[in-house]
Amino acid sequence: MHDNIIERSKDISILELLDRVLNKGVILSGDIVISVADIDLVYLGVRLMLSSVETMEQLKHVELTD
Amino acid sequence: MKNKLIYVYCISNRPFEFSLNAEFKGLNCIKHNEFYTVVKLVSNNEFSEDNLKRNLSDINWVDTHAREHISIISLLMEQCTVVPFKLGTIYHTEEGLKKFINEYTDSLIKNLHNIEKKEEWSMKIYCDRHMLSKQIDKFSEEAAVMEKQIMASSPGKAFLLKRKKTEFVENEMDRICKKYGQIYYDKFKNLSDSANLNNLIPKEITGRKDTMILNANFLVRKNKAEKFKDMIYKLNKQDENSCLFIDVTGPWPPFSFVSIKEKI
Repeated sequence: MHDNIIERSKDISILELLDRVLNKGVILSGDIVISVADIDLVYLGVRLMLSSVETMEQLKHVELTD
Repeated sequence: MKNKLIYVYCISNRPFEFSLNAEFKGLNCIKHNEFYTVVKLVSNNEFSEDNLKRNLSDINWVDTHAREHISIISLLMEQCTVVPFKLGTIYHTEEGLKKFINEYTDSLIKNLHNIEKKEEWSMKIYCDRHMLSKQIDKFSEEAAVMEKQIMASSPGKAFLLKRKKTEFVENEMDRICKKYGQIYYDKFKNLSDSANLNNLIPKEITGRKDTMILNANFLVRKNKAEKFKDMIYKLNKQDENSCLFIDVTGPWPPFSFVSIKEKI
C-alpha cells in the first residue's frame, strides 16, 4: 500500500510548504512571479505569526502554572 | 470579472485525466509540442502583480494557496511525472507560456528524465539534548572516562571535575549531533537517487523542545519508497528510548530536485 503522508497529515507546517513552493521548482519564468523581496516578506510574516503563537503558548503556560 | 491570467501548476510530457478527481475542477491543460502544462485561469483581482503582492502579506491567503498548489501537483503526480512550478507563476497569454517551453525544451526534457518515477521525501532529525546529556557516557568515551575519574576522586576534586565535564559535554553533544546527522544522511542517501540539505530551523520557529540536527530532501524511486519508509520506522523504533527522532514527510512533488536556470 502506498500511503500518502502529505494527505494523511493535516499538520504539515507552513514553513515546510513554503520552503518548497516559494524557493524551488521552476522558479524563473512567468510574466508575474513572486520576487525574492516578496518571499522575504512572506517569511517575515510567518515568523511573526509563529513567534506570536509561541508567545501565546508561553502565556498560557504561565497562567496554568501560576 | 472574467478570469484571464494563466496560473501554472506543472508541466509534463504526458496528458492528464482531470475527470478523476473533484479537486481538478477548473484546471485546463495547454498542449504545446510534446508538453502538457496544467493551468488555471485566475482573476486580476487576486493575481495581478499588485494584488498578488498585497495577498502575500496575508498569511492565511499564503497558507491556503500554498496548500492548494502542493495538493493539486501531488494529485497530478500520481498520474505521471511532473515538473512543478513555483507558487504564483503567472502568464498573461498562452503565447508567453509557449515561448518559455520553446526556449527551455532541452532543460524540461532533462528534468523530466531526472525525476521520472521518483518522489521527494523530506527528513528532519531532532535531538533531545537533555536526554542526550543524561546518556552522554554511552555516546562519548571521553565523557565516560571523566565520569570514572569523578567517581574515584575526593569530593573537592570531584566538584571541579564535574564542572569541567559539564563544559565538555556541551561541545561533545554538538559533535555527536553532527556525527549522527551525517550517519543518517549517508544511510538514506544510499536509498535515494539524489539528496540535498536545507538550513536547520531554530527551535523558536519549529516550536519543538528538541533541536533540529538534519534537514534534508531525498529523491527516492517510487519502487524504493517502502524500503525508505521501513528504514525510518526501524530507526525510530530502535531509538525509541534514545534522544533522536526522525520526522519525515512526503511524498512531495520533486520541487527540490528540479533545476531550470534562466538563460542569460
